[in-house]
Amino acid sequence: MHGAPMTPNRAAMTLTIIAIVLLAIAMTGNAGIIFAILVVLMLTGMPISIALGLTVLTFLFTMTQVPVASVALKLFTGIEKFEIMAVPFFILAGSFLTHGGVARKMIDFAASMVGHFHGGLALAGIVACAMFALVCGSSVATVVAIGSIVLPEMVRAGYPMRFGAGVITVAGSLGILMLPSIPKVIYAVATNTSIGALFVAGLFPGILLTTMLCTVTWWIARKRGYPRLPRRSWLERWRAFRASVWGLMLVVIIIGGIYSGLFTATEAAAMAAVYSFFVSVFVYKALKMKDVPKVLLNSANMSAMLLYIITNAVLFSFILTNENIPNALAQWFLGKELGWVGFLLIANVLLLIAGNFMEPSSIILIMAPILYPTAVSLGINPVHLGILIDANMEVGLCHPPVGLNLYVASGISRLGITELTKAVLPWLFTMLVFLVIVTYWPELSLWLPRAMGML
Amino acid sequence: MGRVLLKLLDRLEEILIASLIAGATIVIFVAVVHRYALDVSAKYHFDAVYDYLFKINLSWAQELCIYMFVWMAKFGAAYGVRTGIHVGVDVLINMLPPPWRRFSILFGLLAGAFFTGTIGGLGANFVWDMAHTDQTSPDLEWPMWIIYLAIPLGSSLMCFRFLQVAWGFFRTGELPHHDAAHVEGVEEAVPLPGAVPQAVGR
Repeated sequence: MHGAPMTPNRAAMTLTIIAIVLLAIAMTGNAGIIFAILVVLMLTGMPISIALGLTVLTFLFTMTQVPVASVALKLFTGIEKFEIMAVPFFILAGSFLTHGGVARKMIDFAASMVGHFHGGLALAGIVACAMFALVCGSSVATVVAIGSIVLPEMVRAGYPMRFGAGVITVAGSLGILMLPSIPKVIYAVATNTSIGALFVAGLFPGILLTTMLCTVTWWIARKRGYPRLPRRSWLERWRAFRASVWGLMLVVIIIGGIYSGLFTATEAAAMAAVYSFFVSVFVYKALKMKDVPKVLLNSANMSAMLLYIITNAVLFSFILTNENIPNALAQWFLGKELGWVGFLLIANVLLLIAGNFMEPSSIILIMAPILYPTAVSLGINPVHLGILIDANMEVGLCHPPVGLNLYVASGISRLGITELTKAVLPWLFTMLVFLVIVTYWPELSLWLPRAMGML
Repeated sequence: MGRVLLKLLDRLEEILIASLIAGATIVIFVAVVHRYALDVSAKYHFDAVYDYLFKINLSWAQELCIYMFVWMAKFGAAYGVRTGIHVGVDVLINMLPPPWRRFSILFGLLAGAFFTGTIGGLGANFVWDMAHTDQTSPDLEWPMWIIYLAIPLGSSLMCFRFLQVAWGFFRTGELPHHDAAHVEGVEEAVPLPGAVPQAVGR
């Protein structure tokens, strides 16, 4: 991953070039200055939340007349929304699910259904990822939960490790696309879009991606002659389904609950956390009671980190709005008359580039408020934009330098990042094709929420 | 002595945030169940049950949950500095010559201390002003300044953690490293509990 350090001369030259570019950007006005400060601070490697906060502080004290007190208030009230609280709840639910034996049963069920095709175990891994994604809102959790069980089994069955790790890295990213998803909650909060509609909108794109990944896997497996599992009877399939039903029930709780109006998305997330705790500790008994405090502490750690970024990003977007930057950008775009096709192309490229530097939550918090006004004035549905951003984040999760799925899969498979990067290529390419489909076929995302009356 | 106090602080921090996330989950769970039970008993005319449940007022649950998570977020952010979970963009600095990289990391840590220190100061000011009003929260009717106390306390603790990590880095050149890619127990069918849940939110 980390190449050899540069010589001082080269480093000095690189830094000078960066400085000149940023100065040029800063010359373009307040918007340029804000982004130049942000980029400089981020490049020093400080936490993104701190870089966002310091940008705001610097800008406030030197450039504007906005009273600092009103900003202080914003900093305190930034996360006092009940919607945001879905994030910690989904993280907690994800942690319980990861350690709760739910994944094992889902893999068994998936293997009984698709195992007899070419590359059966790999196909089962993809389908299990999709099922796990139905109830879990995180990609990394999906890779860990499914990958740590399927990968050793695949190697035992005679698959090369590269093949299995490549499949699972990419399939795991379904975690943030299918139904509940932490990035979707963050997008919903940043743009005031309906969380329920976003959850549901990801289902068909998720099924499409699952199918595409399976097709590519099947094709490669057939060409290379990877093993197949024996075909199972329908009775065996039914038994495997019955065993996995405890985990799959969560779909009914989350989506049914939100759809029927029984509870809000946040409450659904809290119910999911309690339910997955119950299933992990008392039904599948894979999690010991004495390990629960550790799971709680780790979830709290992760949640607090995300909430801290959110607090500072709220402040940052407050400054952007105050300087009227998103609207100015929207006007500029409309003036170019690129239409929605051109705009979405640019949005995709920007998001893919951002995916090389930051993790999904930060990208969404910074980019969504900027892209949103333009998208709306071009007649793009906010839910479609949300799914598109989500799909972009999936790509970012699967390639270096910051793709977390890749690092986690590398941790499980003990493959180096460089080797794994090559291993994921066929599926990563599939995902790019999928991204184009999602971008230019809005109805794929919008049909289901509309049919359910959520739009 | 100082070391014992630090250990105690570490432990308190951990217990506080773990209990807050558990507590908030239970509060919302109970509130939802209560509301559902009310609806059901009203629908099927279980009047005795309904009357009993109706006397329990849980309208404050949502507010309590928010405040618990705000406290968890502020103290958890401080804990996160200690565990190294606050990630940044390290693509550029990892390519720099080692002494430059070292300088850049120290600068980042001190900037963190500066920012959280500033917020801690602003927050203390804000809470001080608020303590002289009689503002209370809408549902729980708790004094607001006590609720907002999370900001100066959490931010100051975070500032302290940044300084602690910076000092440690200055002396030993080591950072707390949050390795999301580290997966224990992968040879077994089920990963060991606590092996990687920290990566779940990404």
